[in-house]
Amino acid sequence: MKLEGGQISPGQIIFLVMSFCLGPVLLKSIAVEAGHADWLAIMLGLAGGVLIAFIFTSLCIKFPGKTLVEFIEIIYGPLLGKLISLVYLFYFFLLPTLTLRLFGDFLTGLIFTQTPMVVIISLIVLICASAVRNGIEVIARCSQVLLPLTIIMLLLATIFSIPHMEFNRFMPIFEVPWAEFLRISLYSSTFPFGQSVAFLMIFAFIGIDSKKIKKARFSLILGLIGVGLLLILLVLRNRGILGATKVITVYPSYQALRIIDIGEVLTRLEIIVAINFLTMGFIAISLLYYNTALGLAQILKLRSYLPLVLPIGILMVCTSIIQFENIFEYQHFSGDIVPLFALPLQIGIPILSLIICKIRGLPKKE
Amino acid sequence: MNIFFLLAIFSGIVIFEVPGLIYRKYWKELIVFFLFLGFAFTISLLAVLGVPLPSPAKGIETVVNFIIKLITGK
Repeated sequence: MKLEGGQISPGQIIFLVMSFCLGPVLLKSIAVEAGHADWLAIMLGLAGGVLIAFIFTSLCIKFPGKTLVEFIEIIYGPLLGKLISLVYLFYFFLLPTLTLRLFGDFLTGLIFTQTPMVVIISLIVLICASAVRNGIEVIARCSQVLLPLTIIMLLLATIFSIPHMEFNRFMPIFEVPWAEFLRISLYSSTFPFGQSVAFLMIFAFIGIDSKKIKKARFSLILGLIGVGLLLILLVLRNRGILGATKVITVYPSYQALRIIDIGEVLTRLEIIVAINFLTMGFIAISLLYYNTALGLAQILKLRSYLPLVLPIGILMVCTSIIQFENIFEYQHFSGDIVPLFALPLQIGIPILSLIICKIRGLPKKE
Repeated sequence: MNIFFLLAIFSGIVIFEVPGLIYRKYWKELIVFFLFLGFAFTISLLAVLGVPLPSPAKGIETVVNFIIKLITGK
């Protein structure tokens, strides 16, 4: 029995994956340890991300119309399968709490300085819960509306900031050793590109037509490339405006757009960053929230995932607040620990599953 | 005062969710809903009362460092 009757088209995947991956990274600085070579690290990370996407979508093609929880159970058997699914669901639960914490720290630190963090986080979770209760189709349509606006605003802000850039700030490239550079590229391929492993749950709603799923895989990879190009543009813009001070700022995009001043008319454009982050972060949180609720309902074999939505939301609020004491703990955890935790889930288990499928001759034809 | 707000929010969720479940006779879903809501209520009550709760981030960090130690032997 299907838990959700929603259906999305392969073309919508491109909007979903772009807004999903852009969400948290619009504010955060990616691959900042690579110094002036950060855009090269992102480019290499993009190649890794495309490879990851190629591997895990092969699983979706093998099991059309089935979500992660369902086909992991077929591959590994009921007990081990449930355990692996629970680890995946914990990962899907953890990522939005990190994004929520980023929301809280950003908004309470810079915009609503007198508001308690729990108020902001609960309001965002409430909106996301409403989106999740309405199903995947609504989230997909939201991303179709919000993503073009975000891209237009990003490009306009970049054009306005060209007068403040200086070319000598991009030099010298490669101050870091090769091994360090490769490590940073690997980390940037797990985040943001590799987190698209969440689409293992979403591909089930495309249908069982294998031609459509192949098209969806193509649009997933196209979306990842789009995200990579936008990220490179973002990083280059911030580097060009801020120069060496980019490393010491917590929110480089916010700081960079603050400097824009076109004829004393167009000033204080930094609110664009807040708007973009709010809209894209909303899609990113909703998608993972939806995955968690749906996956949990499928593990417990419930007839509806709706009763799980609000309790999971409250747990998300609690976790995101008690997780860290300050933003530096957050940066250490999301920068150094989460990529290592995510690597086996993004690369290891999909490859292992494909090998086991080959040996056991799955999927069996009936 | 905070506890009063918490109780108001949770009873609001129960009023919102439970009648539909009873109407459709989804008993298993009702049990799971109350289990999760009870868990969420305990955690948020402890957080409101100011009890220091263990952070999941610290736990993951310990596990990841342990596995790295196993692999690299350092």
